[in-house]
Amino acid sequence: MFQQRTQKSGRSVATWYRSGGLSSIFFALPLVLIFLYFSWGPIVRGLVLSFQKNNLVLPAEWVGWSNFSYVLTDPQLPQAALNTLYFAFLALIFGFPVPLFLAVFISELRKTGWLYNVLSYLPAVVPPVAAILLWTFFYDPSGAGVFNSILGWFGIGPFAWLNSQTLAMPAIVLEATWAGAGATSIIYLAALTGVRTELYEAAELDGAGIWSRVWHVTLPQIRGIILIMMLLQLIGTFQVFTEPFLFTGGGPNNATMTVLLLIYRYAFVNGDFGAATALSVLLAVVLCALSVVYHFVTRRWSTT
Amino acid sequence: MTRVSRWGAALGVAGLVLAAGCAKGTTPGASGDAGGDIDQNAPVTITIGDRPTPDKPNDLKAFNQKIADFTAKNPNITVKSTETSWQAQTFQAQVAGGTLPTVMNISFTEPANMIPNKQLPDITDELKMVDLTKDLNPNVLKIVQDANGRIYGVPIDVFSVGIAYNRKLFSEAGLDPDKPPTTWDEVRQYAKQIHDKTGKAGYSQLTTNNTGGWMLTTMTYSMGGTVESADGKKSTFNDAPTKKALQLLKDMRWTDNSMGSRFLYNQEEVRQDFAAGKIGMVLQAPDAYDMSVKQFGMKPADFGEGALPQDGGPYGTLTGGSLKMISPKATKNEIVAALKWIKFDQFDKYTTESVAVQDAKTTIADKGFVGRPGISPLSQSTYDQFNKWREPYVNVPVKQFQGYIDSTTSLKLLPEPSNKGQEVYSLLDPVVQQVLTKKDADIDKLLSDTASKIDARLAR
Repeated sequence: MFQQRTQKSGRSVATWYRSGGLSSIFFALPLVLIFLYFSWGPIVRGLVLSFQKNNLVLPAEWVGWSNFSYVLTDPQLPQAALNTLYFAFLALIFGFPVPLFLAVFISELRKTGWLYNVLSYLPAVVPPVAAILLWTFFYDPSGAGVFNSILGWFGIGPFAWLNSQTLAMPAIVLEATWAGAGATSIIYLAALTGVRTELYEAAELDGAGIWSRVWHVTLPQIRGIILIMMLLQLIGTFQVFTEPFLFTGGGPNNATMTVLLLIYRYAFVNGDFGAATALSVLLAVVLCALSVVYHFVTRRWSTT
Repeated sequence: MTRVSRWGAALGVAGLVLAAGCAKGTTPGASGDAGGDIDQNAPVTITIGDRPTPDKPNDLKAFNQKIADFTAKNPNITVKSTETSWQAQTFQAQVAGGTLPTVMNISFTEPANMIPNKQLPDITDELKMVDLTKDLNPNVLKIVQDANGRIYGVPIDVFSVGIAYNRKLFSEAGLDPDKPPTTWDEVRQYAKQIHDKTGKAGYSQLTTNNTGGWMLTTMTYSMGGTVESADGKKSTFNDAPTKKALQLLKDMRWTDNSMGSRFLYNQEEVRQDFAAGKIGMVLQAPDAYDMSVKQFGMKPADFGEGALPQDGGPYGTLTGGSLKMISPKATKNEIVAALKWIKFDQFDKYTTESVAVQDAKTTIADKGFVGRPGISPLSQSTYDQFNKWREPYVNVPVKQFQGYIDSTTSLKLLPEPSNKGQEVYSLLDPVVQQVLTKKDADIDKLLSDTASKIDARLAR
């Protein structure tokens, strides 16, 4: 048995060689190497950097786990981690249902669907920096700010929005939801076109109304996509940076300081690339673990 | 086909190996001491940053002309230029990436961290060689010196923090626009008056992107305090002066309610609101004039600049400005060539009338400002002479800076914290933010908590 197998594999190597296998390796090699160098190179380099004291000018110095113990004992880390979790939680509560709702809504509109499609996707086209500048203007804390004026008509406010420790994070989530919903709903829409129309017809024959059709047909049918999008959103929200950086710079009182903002500060304010990469590695490990756990928890509900 | 692809593949592999090899070769390592003996006449090439962008054609023309003049005088030096300029957010990445030109402008905040990190070359001997050391203002030079007095950069533009105020709001509030506040008690009183009479913020404070810590440090200095011990190993702000500064902000915010409703400000945002007439007073160096007027359309007649208010004192004010840095990768010959350029570009105008006048004319042609007060990077007499030559071209209402100008001789210039300045600032930001956004903020606790955080950082 064993002999037979080696013989067989030996012969197959020869056949493989004779049929031009080597040239196909040569053909693929540059691509693979480029991929390794540019795609995985930085990851490996980051790993190496996280064990070094390195400002990229002086020669690097190995410091073992000290970068990790430094970032783990940084008194700012617990708050940054909590803020990031809080952001992820808020984004899940408010941000997650919105694009789903949008997509279902648009798909029900047979004729003017494209118009709503365009309208919902438009925010995704606005460059984030411009959008954030615009929203800063909306969130102007004085009574004359856009949101405060509107709320003022109903006798509410004025709110301090970004200047308030409690309101700053929800305000950021609101903007992020506005900016991200369109792109996500496009993906849901694509998934919705894959739902077989017979199912709806059957449901209608059984006397199901629109809500019951959405609940019993649409959602179960696109469950796979929903689960994937939820994971992507989780990973995305754990890496939130642009919004807190541009809106509040992490303030007020560190209320919007996220893990990525902390990483950014280590690297580009403190010039401490070792600490920055160490925390990045830790974040990546947490996200990997999260993905694995997520996979096992949701396997039961998955369509496949 | 197979033959071609095989060769292509082989070439591709070779190219990749080569690229990897090059990358390794340029990995930043021990550099800065490269070069050996100096030969002032050897051919050398330097790259100069801060080339004016094409939207400033007159500046660009003058810049190129200057390079042509310089290379005519120094035929062994080849000068290339790039538009690379200093940005707080990207600078460390540029340093790390090794993409800096041989010479460029950077902020005064940088050398304190870059010198110990060996990110700036020691240029003391070369400065003597090009005969520049004696011209430089020794007070200002401290910014670019280490403990042994070695020099790592050339300061070119200096100013200290004062208080910018809106003259129109002053008038509207019944205050004399020619009399800016000189004590913090006056600041508080004026702020309340401005707020009560005009409804605008009487006084605003910078709080984000490290500016909160920066301005708290400035206030601490003005109250006679310090932020770090002289050796930079320990924080010193957890005492009376900083507490007094924070208490003052707290009183203005919560007792007088004279600071408006916005408490998250970075430099640009505060200048924008100041230019728009929403702020009565704000701590700013006189260079705030440029952006407020040019970019945000403030009327020059509305801008006023007073001395940094003091408490008790006079104690002093925090200095800022820009300097020319030289790339840590430059060889000795390149350093000498770079310094010759810096002297030609920045210092000849102070000693040659025609250059001074020409410089003023170009600046005006590009809608820039001539005569905005600052502090001399050179000796006072040289600077006075220079200003005299340019007097006919002054297009800034210098009289409205009188309060500030007087303070440049009476107030001591205090440098920023010497160890991890930006890091200390970033940890102090939330302290100021908390005092302004949380009514029951406990100043003592905030400061002692932050002090322990900062001490841990300073010890790293």
